[in-house]
Amino acid sequence: MSSDIAIEVNNLTRHFGELVAVDAITFAIRYGEIFGYLGANGAGKSTTIRMLCGILAPTSGTGTIAGFDVVRNPEDIKKSIGYVSQRFSLYDDLTVKENLSFFGQIYGLRNADLKNRMRATLQTTGLDRWTNTLAGVLSGGWKQRLAVANAILHKPRIIFLDEPTAGIDPVSRRTLWELFYQLADEGVTLFVTTHYMEEAERCHQIAVLSRGKILSKGSPDSLRKKVPGKIFEVNCRPLMKASRVFRKMRGVNGIMAYGTNLHVNVSDDSDFEKTMYRIAEKEDVAILAVRPISASLEDLFATISEE
Amino acid sequence: MKNISAIVRKEFLHIIRDSRTLILIILMPLIQLIMYGYGINTDVKHLATALYNEDYSSLSRRLVESFEQSAYFDMKYHVRSFEELRHFIDRGDAKAGLHIPSNFAKDVLAGRQAQLQLIIDGTDSNPANVALNTAQAVVAAFMQKETLVPAQVAPIDFRPRMWYNPDLKTTFFMIPGLVGLLIQFLIPMITASAIVREKERGNIEQLLVTPIKSHELIIGKIIPYICIGMMIALLVISTAHFLFQVPIRGNLFLLFSLTLLFLIVCLGIGLFASTVAQNQQQAAQIVMFFAMPSILLSGFIFPREGMPVIIYQIGNVIPLTHFLKIVRGIVLKGLGIGDLWPQATILFCIAFVILSSSILKFQKRLR
Repeated sequence: MSSDIAIEVNNLTRHFGELVAVDAITFAIRYGEIFGYLGANGAGKSTTIRMLCGILAPTSGTGTIAGFDVVRNPEDIKKSIGYVSQRFSLYDDLTVKENLSFFGQIYGLRNADLKNRMRATLQTTGLDRWTNTLAGVLSGGWKQRLAVANAILHKPRIIFLDEPTAGIDPVSRRTLWELFYQLADEGVTLFVTTHYMEEAERCHQIAVLSRGKILSKGSPDSLRKKVPGKIFEVNCRPLMKASRVFRKMRGVNGIMAYGTNLHVNVSDDSDFEKTMYRIAEKEDVAILAVRPISASLEDLFATISEE
Repeated sequence: MKNISAIVRKEFLHIIRDSRTLILIILMPLIQLIMYGYGINTDVKHLATALYNEDYSSLSRRLVESFEQSAYFDMKYHVRSFEELRHFIDRGDAKAGLHIPSNFAKDVLAGRQAQLQLIIDGTDSNPANVALNTAQAVVAAFMQKETLVPAQVAPIDFRPRMWYNPDLKTTFFMIPGLVGLLIQFLIPMITASAIVREKERGNIEQLLVTPIKSHELIIGKIIPYICIGMMIALLVISTAHFLFQVPIRGNLFLLFSLTLLFLIVCLGIGLFASTVAQNQQQAAQIVMFFAMPSILLSGFIFPREGMPVIIYQIGNVIPLTHFLKIVRGIVLKGLGIGDLWPQATILFCIAFVILSSSILKFQKRLR
């Protein structure tokens, strides 16, 4: 194992009785990388994080976090990581400062050390003007920044973020991502789970999880290239009728609606447009414009889920 | 150690910020003290009495005086007929009626057996009994004083004496017991809700991924409530002593040591409730489930001696039963550990069982 690897897992598996929540996942993440972990609810994202944080023992397989074994040294792992949970789980009835001070002490920070780290963290996250505000009073975006501040307080080199931007307005989301990039620049690894495709595009590496299995992994670019066939953006109406009609066409892998357009994934595009116009006329569907576009991660997701 | 102190500090912040709990902690002891100290008073003094005196003699007047001097009977109503006397008792205006027939003094002085009738409202059996006993004592003392009974006629010199609480003051009995009642009521409630709150609000999720150990978490969360429990004990004991003049006859150190032991039992109940409950409301219900029988069966209000055997035995497994014996024993009787070791041992065993099982259960939940 080379020393620039932050997280490495091999065939990590977790059963809950009959259910296989996480099924033989394998990946390696370097320091300074933002790793996007995608999947629907119940795909096994949280179970994976719980195993990587050392609070849930795997049924089989191995994992090394910051050089520590997930089975043998869970306590050492806990000291070396930061964690931002899906639901705000700091204390609402404590101020920003009190929250940070409490968790800082739990991580072994004392006196001057604690004070310095708190000041630095408050500055980094822009929370310095909310120091004496009760955490419960903060808006969603600021709460989430506090959660991030809390996770980076003890200078961990790996941070796990479970849907850190769920339910947050776009502006706050952007500032949070700026913070994530800044941390990555400093060599911190961020393990981020998300539902949002646009967010996945921002990661250095992503893995797509479905029913406990990793279906696809790599950089967003390489994943986009994995989308089979070509994507056409079709502006037509009535939209849902068109979707139903085109889906039956030969060579069509999948169709998704985007606003007033359809994204049609086609494996054989030689006479796709001609066929489509013909069918549209027969079925009384109006096509206003057709143009080939490059695949997005959303399209990848659509193809994967259709499979 | 540093981790524990961080948790203790945080816990005190929670307590200060949570006005609901704070009010409960401060107001409940005060209200209970006032209730039991002033309100609930079963002392049988100054019983309103209707007097129907048909005998206009100095002897009968002296008898009436004896009744009044006992401070148990107030001759509030002077009536002219037995019907009138019955009327006062029926309406509840008078709790007792004293009827002295017209030839009372004549019979007494002639050495014949004289008649004297006392009617007591027996609706509430407790004060009725006390009134009856007092009346008998008053009459006996009156006969002695008036030398109506020659000494040799009474071969047994019977001198009953009431120990520990000669005036039978309710406050003496109730207020020390209140220490136990308040701890039994408050401590499991606030301990359980403090722990369940972490679960309910999702804080436990964050704590789980920190390097904190579960025993540090438990100890850190418990210490503030030990302090609160001891403060309640101190408040109640000092109020009892300085405001209600309850004498403290035993060793204070022993009293507080055994109070601490009882406190730990109650913390255990709270911990147990927190491992079972999903939210604060459930925790409160579980705690009430323990508290209600404790109040009724421990002998806090109702004497256990009169209970059916099964109920009496159930009372024996209730921690408060044993603590009441301890606190009343030390405060009122001046008992030492030599007398109280059985109760202390039982409490210790209960504390050990409940605390170790809930810590084990707590740990399993954390993993």
